[in-house]
Amino acid sequence: MDKDRRQFLRNSGIVLSIAVAGEVLLLSPAQARAAGLPLQLLSAQEAATLEAITEAVVPGARKAGISQYIDKQLAASHEESLLMLKYLGVPQSDFLSFYQGGLRSAAALAHSRFGKNWSELASSEAASLVTAIAGTQPEGWDGPPAAFFFFVIRSDASDVVYGTEEGYAAIGMPYMAHIAPPEPW
Amino acid sequence: MTAVQPIPVEDPFDLLVVGSGAAGSVMAAQAARAGKRVLILEAGPARELSDLVSSQIWARRLKWSGAPVVEEGNLNIGHAFNSGWGSGGAAKHQYAVWPRLHENDFKTQTQYGKGIDWPFEYQDLQPYYDKIQAEVGLSGDAEAEKWRPPGEKYPMPPTPVFAQGRVIEKGFQALNMSAAPIPLAINSVPYKGRKACLYDGWCDAGCPIGALANPLVTYLAWAREAGAELRNQALVTRVIHDASGRKVTGVEYYDAAGKQHRVHGKAVVLAAFCVQNARLLLASASDKHPRGLANSNDLVGRFLMTHPANSVYGLFADETLPYQGPTGGQLINHDHYKEKLKGRAFGSYQWLIANALKPNDLLGIANTRPDIYGPALQEFMRKAAAHMGAMVFVGEDLPLAENRVTLSDKRDQYGVPLAKATHNITAATEALCEAAVAEGLAIFKAAGAAEPWAGPRFGMHILGGTIMGSSPEKSVTDSYGRCHELDNLYVAGSGLFPTSGAVNPTFTIHALTLRSADHILKNIP
Repeated sequence: MDKDRRQFLRNSGIVLSIAVAGEVLLLSPAQARAAGLPLQLLSAQEAATLEAITEAVVPGARKAGISQYIDKQLAASHEESLLMLKYLGVPQSDFLSFYQGGLRSAAALAHSRFGKNWSELASSEAASLVTAIAGTQPEGWDGPPAAFFFFVIRSDASDVVYGTEEGYAAIGMPYMAHIAPPEPW
Repeated sequence: MTAVQPIPVEDPFDLLVVGSGAAGSVMAAQAARAGKRVLILEAGPARELSDLVSSQIWARRLKWSGAPVVEEGNLNIGHAFNSGWGSGGAAKHQYAVWPRLHENDFKTQTQYGKGIDWPFEYQDLQPYYDKIQAEVGLSGDAEAEKWRPPGEKYPMPPTPVFAQGRVIEKGFQALNMSAAPIPLAINSVPYKGRKACLYDGWCDAGCPIGALANPLVTYLAWAREAGAELRNQALVTRVIHDASGRKVTGVEYYDAAGKQHRVHGKAVVLAAFCVQNARLLLASASDKHPRGLANSNDLVGRFLMTHPANSVYGLFADETLPYQGPTGGQLINHDHYKEKLKGRAFGSYQWLIANALKPNDLLGIANTRPDIYGPALQEFMRKAAAHMGAMVFVGEDLPLAENRVTLSDKRDQYGVPLAKATHNITAATEALCEAAVAEGLAIFKAAGAAEPWAGPRFGMHILGGTIMGSSPEKSVTDSYGRCHELDNLYVAGSGLFPTSGAVNPTFTIHALTLRSADHILKNIP
């Protein structure tokens, strides 16, 4: 990777860097996930909940690096953040609490309904909780409005699963980039 | 202990332009071409064509990233989505649908007893539409648009109609409605050194090949070629005036390092879009203008508008290949534009037909059916990627005094109060939307979609907030955007529109600004 491109990627806040044997490697979120890189803002439990929910909503979200994507974008400046939440009237100062509040409420819901963490739910159990979050305001939910939270994380998961060259190919749609993105995100 | 740093002073400019979008770029280009010393102050970062990466995720860097705008009401103006960030402003991510306003958009109060009359007629704007059209280049078929007001024919042939357009067109034909090639500021053939479109549907991410007339390849580029200076990351916080309060002397801004500057100009043009223009006027209150500049009649910020819009979607048996073509659409319908009074409904409307679709993002395929998830979503996405059709209804909004920009109690990092935008539509506009959605679903059924559906109502484009007019008691500026209360302070852009019409505003912004520029240049010594 040439120097300009590396600088471009770093400035754009889309990659995660790791120092290995004196060499800085730049990784896409999916690669960072595979490499087990630590997250900056989301806790391990929040990431596990996020991955389990989005996997139930948009299959493929976990492997595509949904946690790394959200975590990285939350850590970026407002100008560099690529989150769709920017469009939806939530000020950036509230982005982290938006995700954390929704994930906390979702985790509490899994415990109250099934006595489990999201990552331990059977797929049918996860699906029933997704339906509850998507269509209603579950009792005890104290995060952002449940249906809105669902819409946002579903969009985020659609971004990482379908919004890439790989994702287009998976649904048979030509990507046809004028300028290919240097990295998916 | 830190010493107080003096604010740097530099030689005065002839013209200061705040904002580098459609309006600011046209104004700056005309002034620079006339030999004036022009400074453009752009709050966002520098953007070049090479930054316009083909990705709906990366495209979000082109949208508003400045101080948040608090929104309320039954139809939000969608400030963060509809505004731009960086060189070229919102016009950098426009879809380049450039119809003209109609003759019946200009005197709606006189003609229909609704809205506010413009201070001139269509024929006063027509020469400017024609000049812009020749300079920028438009593709279309003037004769096929049987509703089109008088004007020169398009300089380029229409863009092609692809599978999606052909499929949906059948529905219009079945209901005895028409679908004409859409007028686009997109090259169907090479034009004045700019390339022809490749129809890859990446308009929203910004067109890096220059086929779409965004300011980076039109007026902003021409302004800079003619000598205008563009300063990025220059956030204007205040317009300053002389002791009399009749003349502005310049503006104050902060640079990327947070350092404050003051620059002077013989005239100042605010072209920072509807909400920020109003915010800046209100936040520049002084002893001479205690309610804000140009606001002694409490009109700054009022009559804020957005076009109410709904998308209609359907899955068709035939292949539509919806990734082909321009994002703004392949065809257009204005059959009922001339009829504004429709029972309890009021307003003109248009259909933009066969919009190119991408899988993700706010307007992407996945979000057209937010109720589908899990394995069913995968199935839907595969089917939709080849068989989906879409079109969008764009309706007229009514200018209402209570729809307005006000200042919030909260402030940005430089102490400037945040803007609050309140926007509600009335029953007459709701009725217009409901009737149009019903019509759209019927068209899609007639075209062969088994179960068409409509998306939620949303606000497309932002207009009003600093309306122009003949009377200082009823408007903020005159017909050239000059503030009634300050001799050399101008506003440019769709904020001047007294009514919204029901067409995409970017062409009209260009034409209106060209008209103003001619006038302003005669008045700068």
